[in-house]
Amino acid sequence: MSDPVTATATMMDPAGLKAIGAGLAVGLTGIASGIAEKDIGSAAIGAMAENESLFGKGLILTVIPETIVIFGLVVALLIS
Amino acid sequence: MLELKQMNRAVIVGHKSIFEETVDALHKSNLFQIEDFNEDKSGLRIGRPFENVDAVSKKLIKIRSIASLLGVKDAESKKQNTSAVLSSLDDTLEKLDAELDVKAEKKSQLEAELKEIDSLKKELLPFSNISLDLDLYRGYEHLSVFTGYVNENVESAVSKVTSSYEIFYDAKESTVVLFVAKDKATEVANVLADFGFREVRVPQVSGMPGQALSEIDSRESGLVKQIESIDLEIESLKDKYADFILASNELLSIEAQKSEAPLRVATSESTFMIDGWVPEEDFAKLEDIVKTATNGRAFVSMQEMTKEDENVVPIEYDNPKVAAPFQEIMDLYARPKYKELDPTSLIFISFPLFYGMILGDIGYALILLALAVGIKKAISSEAIKPLMNILIYCQISTLIFGVLYGEFLGFPLASLTLHGETVAGLIPGFATINLFASPIGGEMITYPVHRTHLVMTMIVFTALLGLVHINFGYALGFINENRKHGFTAALMEKGSWMVIEVGLLLAALGYAAVLPAATTYAGIVVFLVGFVMLLKGEGIKGPIELPSLLSNSLSYTRIIAVGLSSIYIASTVNLIAFEMIWEPGTPIGGMTIFALIVFLAGHALNTALSIIAPGLHSLRLQYVEFFGKFYEGGGRKYNPFGYIRKYTEEN
Repeated sequence: MSDPVTATATMMDPAGLKAIGAGLAVGLTGIASGIAEKDIGSAAIGAMAENESLFGKGLILTVIPETIVIFGLVVALLIS
Repeated sequence: MLELKQMNRAVIVGHKSIFEETVDALHKSNLFQIEDFNEDKSGLRIGRPFENVDAVSKKLIKIRSIASLLGVKDAESKKQNTSAVLSSLDDTLEKLDAELDVKAEKKSQLEAELKEIDSLKKELLPFSNISLDLDLYRGYEHLSVFTGYVNENVESAVSKVTSSYEIFYDAKESTVVLFVAKDKATEVANVLADFGFREVRVPQVSGMPGQALSEIDSRESGLVKQIESIDLEIESLKDKYADFILASNELLSIEAQKSEAPLRVATSESTFMIDGWVPEEDFAKLEDIVKTATNGRAFVSMQEMTKEDENVVPIEYDNPKVAAPFQEIMDLYARPKYKELDPTSLIFISFPLFYGMILGDIGYALILLALAVGIKKAISSEAIKPLMNILIYCQISTLIFGVLYGEFLGFPLASLTLHGETVAGLIPGFATINLFASPIGGEMITYPVHRTHLVMTMIVFTALLGLVHINFGYALGFINENRKHGFTAALMEKGSWMVIEVGLLLAALGYAAVLPAATTYAGIVVFLVGFVMLLKGEGIKGPIELPSLLSNSLSYTRIIAVGLSSIYIASTVNLIAFEMIWEPGTPIGGMTIFALIVFLAGHALNTALSIIAPGLHSLRLQYVEFFGKFYEGGGRKYNPFGYIRKYTEEN
């Protein structure tokens, strides 16, 4: 109807972009945490197989990268 | 409350004639942890076990092998009288052993027989479809007999070699039985070889194979029945003697512990010297027990604790009973060292607090509370009990925060009006009350607190909470460091962090024009002072860790973040069940049931997540953010010489 530039501009809904941004923040940080935790986790299980009392230390080391996704989640909450 | 049990190093000395009485008394008291003696140049030797050690360990091995043979498991049972068990122990053990021997021997005999029959059966199977008496296979002078497997019927090929033959071929088992004249045997063997002949031995039995097989089957089932009945007899032996086995195993284990005790003790020609640890509060009691048992002939003396001793002191917690379950969480990390503060009582407060803040839902709290109480009642295991107690504390906290947040299984309890739109709550007529405006993000603080509408405020609040928690950790670290390395070290290593924080705070307030601008510069100066202190206290490691101040306190925002994810899972389940599948008010039908199934399954899943996610995150905040500031750990568990009796009474 009107000129095509405005038509495209109305299609880019800011709320939708925000949602995409929030999704990316959680999703990518989740993947990052996963990559970081997979190595630590398997090493921790290996250590625990040798010595059960390392469970506490293993758990701590494994969850340290969890912070990455928490920050992602916080950022997503701030965006939306 | 924050202190561990004070321990004393004690040495017990006496003449060897009262060695056994002393060990006996120590074992009974269950107070004294023996420090193993290593031979050195002092001329003292490791003691020799008491005389009864051989007899005791022989019996112990016998009873343990019987227990494992019968599969006797630890079970709750009435405590038995020690002297009664002891007096009947030898006779009963012998009788049980003999009875079991007979049964086991008979069983192994039957099993061997069964095996033999089984292999005979396997040998007979190839001939099962050839109706030829098994006696007819052997005993010929001028005939050769070929028995075995071939790939296909060989009759036509054999007939080309000789005309005088008799062949039986079973296509199903591909077995062939071939009788030929002896002078043709070599040629026939060559022919058979072309057909992949593999010889099979004819079993040494007589009669028709089918009949022999059915006889074997009936014998086999008879044997199986016999073995089963022996198994039943063994089972009944187990039922009859289980209590005896458990009780005597315990008594013999105690005896063995006592008779082997001299192996851990220093002795000379005619004296013994037991070195070890006893809690300070029990020292007098121990002295009294030893004196009474030996008529005052053994001497207990307290030793001065040296610096090296502090590294090997066995550690025993000293917490109020209510906080004691959290010692499990401490042990999971590491026991404190002797001079350290024991943070169990602090974990007792902060762990359930964070857990409750994360979950904060009345519905889940009630479900998990019922679950924890139920499991605690149903399982009397000592290992499960503290964990269930921790879960119960956490659920109480969750319940309190649930009331504060006004949440029930993801539904808001109160209705909320925002921008003229009202979202209904679960309780009709219960509307959210506006309390005051939050200073952050233009949000309104309400009762009940709607976390989903207070995200900004909650993020800032949790980060500040984290800052408080971390500083608490620094304060504890200051005390620990002060005890270990003195005031200056404590001030440089831990105090410096607080100085840095004050500096940053002043600078920020000045910059934000809350305080006069000059404060900014004052703040920077304070910060630099703190920075230098830190550099002196911790070396280069200190400044590297400086950003952790920010990342650690931001890490506490997980309290709101994980909490929100839990709410969103719950409310999504509710949305799918009661809006997308079936809406309340519409006619009840098949979809209602489906909606209920989705509702139950979804919340069951979220309940399981509700233990794991808040638990793990709350634990992590303790272990990583909090403990990192002050806790070292690595103490040895206090494990006194003695035995906790389960099946027998002390006499």
